Amino acid sequence: MRKAYCITAAELAERGRSGVPDELVSSAHLIYSSPATLAFNSPGARGFGVKRAGLAVPGSVMLLVSPGCCGRNTAALGGPGYGERFFYLLLDDTDIVTGRHLSKIPDAVREVCASCAAPPSAVMLCITCVDALLGTDMERVCRKASERAGVPVVPCYMYALTREGRLPPMAAVRAAVYSLLEPAGRRPDEVNLLGYFSPLVDGCELYPLLGQAGVRRIREISRCRTFGEYREMARANFNLVLNPEARYAAREMEKKLGIPSVELTRLYQLDKIRNQYRLLGEAVGAAFDDRRYYDAAAGAVEAFRRKYGGVAFAVGEVQNADPFELSLALIRYGFAVSEIYGTVGDANFAYLKKIARLSPRTKIYSNLSPTMLCYDESGSDAEAAVGADAVYYHPRLPGVGWNGERQPFGYAGVRALFGALDRALGAAGRAK
Amino acid sequence: MNGLLKVLPPFAPDQSGAVSALYEMGGLIVICDAGGCTGNVCGFDEPRWFRKKSAVFSAGLRDMDAILGRDDRLIAKLGDAVSQTDAAFTALVGTPVPAVIGTDFRALRRMAEKRTGLPAIAVETTGTGLYDEGEEQALLALFRTFAAETFPVERGTVGVLGATPLDFGSPRAGELLAESLARRGWNRAVCYGMGSGLSAVRRASAAEQNLVVSPAGLKTAEYLNRTFGTPYAAGCPFLPEHLEKSLAGLGGKRVLVIHQQVLANAVRDRILERADADVTVATWFLLKEELKREGDFRLTGERQFARAVGDGGYDVVIGDALLRRALGGYRGAFLGLPHFAVSGGPEKESEAAERR
Repeated sequence: MRKAYCITAAELAERGRSGVPDELVSSAHLIYSSPATLAFNSPGARGFGVKRAGLAVPGSVMLLVSPGCCGRNTAALGGPGYGERFFYLLLDDTDIVTGRHLSKIPDAVREVCASCAAPPSAVMLCITCVDALLGTDMERVCRKASERAGVPVVPCYMYALTREGRLPPMAAVRAAVYSLLEPAGRRPDEVNLLGYFSPLVDGCELYPLLGQAGVRRIREISRCRTFGEYREMARANFNLVLNPEARYAAREMEKKLGIPSVELTRLYQLDKIRNQYRLLGEAVGAAFDDRRYYDAAAGAVEAFRRKYGGVAFAVGEVQNADPFELSLALIRYGFAVSEIYGTVGDANFAYLKKIARLSPRTKIYSNLSPTMLCYDESGSDAEAAVGADAVYYHPRLPGVGWNGERQPFGYAGVRALFGALDRALGAAGRAK
Repeated sequence: MNGLLKVLPPFAPDQSGAVSALYEMGGLIVICDAGGCTGNVCGFDEPRWFRKKSAVFSAGLRDMDAILGRDDRLIAKLGDAVSQTDAAFTALVGTPVPAVIGTDFRALRRMAEKRTGLPAIAVETTGTGLYDEGEEQALLALFRTFAAETFPVERGTVGVLGATPLDFGSPRAGELLAESLARRGWNRAVCYGMGSGLSAVRRASAAEQNLVVSPAGLKTAEYLNRTFGTPYAAGCPFLPEHLEKSLAGLGGKRVLVIHQQVLANAVRDRILERADADVTVATWFLLKEELKREGDFRLTGERQFARAVGDGGYDVVIGDALLRRALGGYRGAFLGLPHFAVSGGPEKESEAAERR
């Protein structure tokens, strides 16, 4: 059996951003999707892909217009809140070549609405690679369908072909789910959090910190129970963008609703989190007092280090963190990172360079490389794993998938991560 | 409206069937997609993906690959992957993207063979067909390519064609089929694609007989019969244990059995062995004329399905529990018979339906 390709952090940093080897560039090779990384190249395979994300609008239903294969895994989303909200208009061989299915969509939307127990707030029309290639003007089709059915009809572009394009599907769908908001009188004490389809972890300091700035209502689409609550998002004074994939949606909201935005990054380095809150405070004209949150998170890190020593981690990318930023944080806290499974890009190459200085022998693997089929954990120095992919590669090590739907953020995220690691390593009897 | 599904999700597509047939053959399989189809195949339709490694990759096509028809890039990537892994052959599996842009799979296959030096097969699935169509195509291509040599016939060896997790649910179906056949006196059962790999395919001519356990295996059985004179029969030597128990007491009833045709036929035979009943077979998938009895029919849509069950006056319907959803007004009994290609779940829903 061959070996999985890897390169050390030092070598990769030396090559520079433009010299990343082909084995780490997903467009340069076939794509391997291990059981743990299926959702990386195919977001709908797990968690929130376009189909599930499109249904973030309360009371909406989705009509997937595609060959049968595109809707196949939707049966896995048949859990509470989804099973009755998906409908399918299946395309045959003639449809996908001629586009004749487009004329059927308005009637299909009307039939879907008529079959619902209560009228849906909107029909999210999900279309796939077929219509991307046919060049369908789906805005026009949606207008026609909306006239026919008497409900808003919104296009959701599940165009996997454009994943590395200007507007990837997961960025486009974020814009789609906010597109039903109409201009409303803005309230100075209301804020929206954009970026995720499930809420931040309860206890996240972002809520009380915004309270310190006079914010009284913080809205997240995932916490809106009704279409009415959702529409109140149009009243926000500003949007906080917590995931870069929501940047485009925020820009669209600014154009249409006049709501400006501020972007925050999910970080695990405590000093960087503090700095980010300081800058946010300056932007909104408030001085945040984050001492107790900082101290609690720093205490969790220190307690873990005292209990387990300088653990060596394998860090993956199928988790609620950038693997390079988290690795850098772990190294700076006094732990080791023996390997990282991640995709190097413009956004995280700066972290990689810092890792190269502090831990030059850290190995970098690409989850998507076909050679990962040959990955052999026996050559690894890791003692614990973080990330669903790292846990998959190291089934015998204590590990934390850290890819739950509730979103960790800020100091609360750091605290929760080290709490989870403590439980995992404690259960494995790894205390010093 | 034809093609509109309001209750049922889509069933396993042709590319899933193709990959399922090839999964254990030791080839390097490339699904010619952007990523979503591979996610569906590996993450949903292939339960072995989580237990047994196989070189199944996505072509990772992007818009410009499709617009410009950059087959050469795909073949270059394939060549690199072959040099990095151990593969006995390569297989190219179609999806809607190549179907829309009219990819020439025969040319692609030749290019792959030239670039890698390995045999290649191409399965022109489109994502609009159902799993057994893809499975049928893949099996036939596999045997046409590799079952070339004539070996002496080994008495007591039976070849099993058409078994995949999509047909039988359990990833252990190969073992279960082999055990059942051993109980029936066969010395050796070779279940192609579930428990045996490419070397067994190469020696296919050595089988004394082939057993077709799903309609997807029929064309290959015919091919082996024409090429090597191997006789074949269709049948399923085992039924799920929980179903065997519930088949008692169907005497005098009008029963509709819904599954892949060979397994549904086996259920019918078992019912008729025990009691005098009026049993019809229906399937959403391939309905082969040579395996069909009078009155058997194909299901094509939710409305037609509900009407057929209602108009047919069936006392009992046997099928995957997911189908129950489409039979809102049906008052008869429903016995669960899981079909992975329908619900994507081997037992859960069907067992729950039985308990209800």
